[in-house]
Amino acid sequence: MTEPYVWWAILGITLATFLSRCSLHLLGNRLQVPHTLESALRYAPACALAAILVPDLVFNEGQLDLSFDNPRWVAGIVSAAIFAANRSMIASISGGMAVFWLLRVW
Amino acid sequence: MSEPIINDTGAVTPRDAFLRGVRELMPAWPGIFAWGLVTGIAMVKSGLSVTEATVLSLLAYAGSAQLAALPLMAAFAPIWLVTLTAVTVNLRFVVYSVLTRRHFAHLSGQRRLWLGYLVGDIMFARFTAMIEREPDYPHRVHYYFGGAIANWVLWQISSIIGIFAATTIPTSWGLELAGTLTLVALLVPLCANRPVLAGVMVASVVSVLAHDVPMRLGLLLAIAFGVGTAFAVERAGRAP
Repeated sequence: MTEPYVWWAILGITLATFLSRCSLHLLGNRLQVPHTLESALRYAPACALAAILVPDLVFNEGQLDLSFDNPRWVAGIVSAAIFAANRSMIASISGGMAVFWLLRVW
Repeated sequence: MSEPIINDTGAVTPRDAFLRGVRELMPAWPGIFAWGLVTGIAMVKSGLSVTEATVLSLLAYAGSAQLAALPLMAAFAPIWLVTLTAVTVNLRFVVYSVLTRRHFAHLSGQRRLWLGYLVGDIMFARFTAMIEREPDYPHRVHYYFGGAIANWVLWQISSIIGIFAATTIPTSWGLELAGTLTLVALLVPLCANRPVLAGVMVASVVSVLAHDVPMRLGLLLAIAFGVGTAFAVERAGRAP
C-alpha cells in the first residue's frame, strides 16, 4: 500500500470511530429520544451481539453450513451450552476452542 | 462471572468501584487477548507496516471497524468508502450511548470524549448488566472506566504483540474464534426472556441473509429487524 493513502485511511477510520462513539455523549441530555424508541432500543445490544457473532460461526469456507462439518458452528453451540450451564466465561471460551481444534484435527 | 460484591458495612469508594470494574472484565481476557492478537496479525498481513498498524490500533481502538476496513484498504477503495464502512460498523455504539448517556451526562466534555474513545462491546454489556442488577450502585462511572481501561490495556498489548508476531503466527490456528466465543458468553445471559430471544433469532437470520450487503450495512439491518421484532413480541405479551 502506498503511504499517503494508508494514512488518510487511518485518519478516516479514526474519525469515523471517534465521532460515532462520542456524538451522543457530547450532546448529553440535550437530545431527546422518544420514550418508546428508547425502551425498544433496550433490545439492541443483544441483537447487535447476535448479528456480529452469528455470521462468524455459520459460514464455513464462504458457504452457510449448520452441520457437524462446520467446526466453528459446533464450537459456538458447545461454548454457549457451557456458559449456560456454569456461567464461567473462561470455561466457555476454552471449551469452545478445544472443541474447534479437536474437530479440525479429526 | 464473578458475583456482585455487596458491601453493607462500609461505603463503596470510587477506588473500590474502579477495581471492581477491572475485576469483572477479567473473565473475558482470553477472548479480548485473542481478538487483539488476530487484529494485529490481520493488519500486517493485509499490507500495513508495523508503524501504520500500531498507530491505527492506538488511534482507532476499534477491532471490528479495523477488520472491516482492511480488505477495502488492500483494494485501494476510495477513502470515503473506507470511512463510511467504519461508521456503519460503529453505529451500534450510538445506540449503546442512547442507553447509557444519562449515567454520564454530568461528566465534563473531556471526560465524555474519553468515554467515547474507550467504549467497547464487552464493557458495555458488563455495565448494563450491573446497572440492571444494582440500579443504585454508586460510582458507576469509576466502575465503567475501570473495566474500559483494563480492556484497552489488554487489547493494545495483544494487538501490538500480533503486529510484531504477524509473520510467525499462522492464521490457520483460528484464534479469532476466541473473540467470537467471548461474544457468545456475553449474549447467553441476555437471552433471559421471550422478546430478547425472538429479537436475537431474527437478528441472526437477517445478519446471515444480508451478509454480502456492502459497507457492513447488514449489521444495521439485522439490529433494526431484531429490535423491531423484540419490541413487537413485548407489546403482544402485554396485550390483554
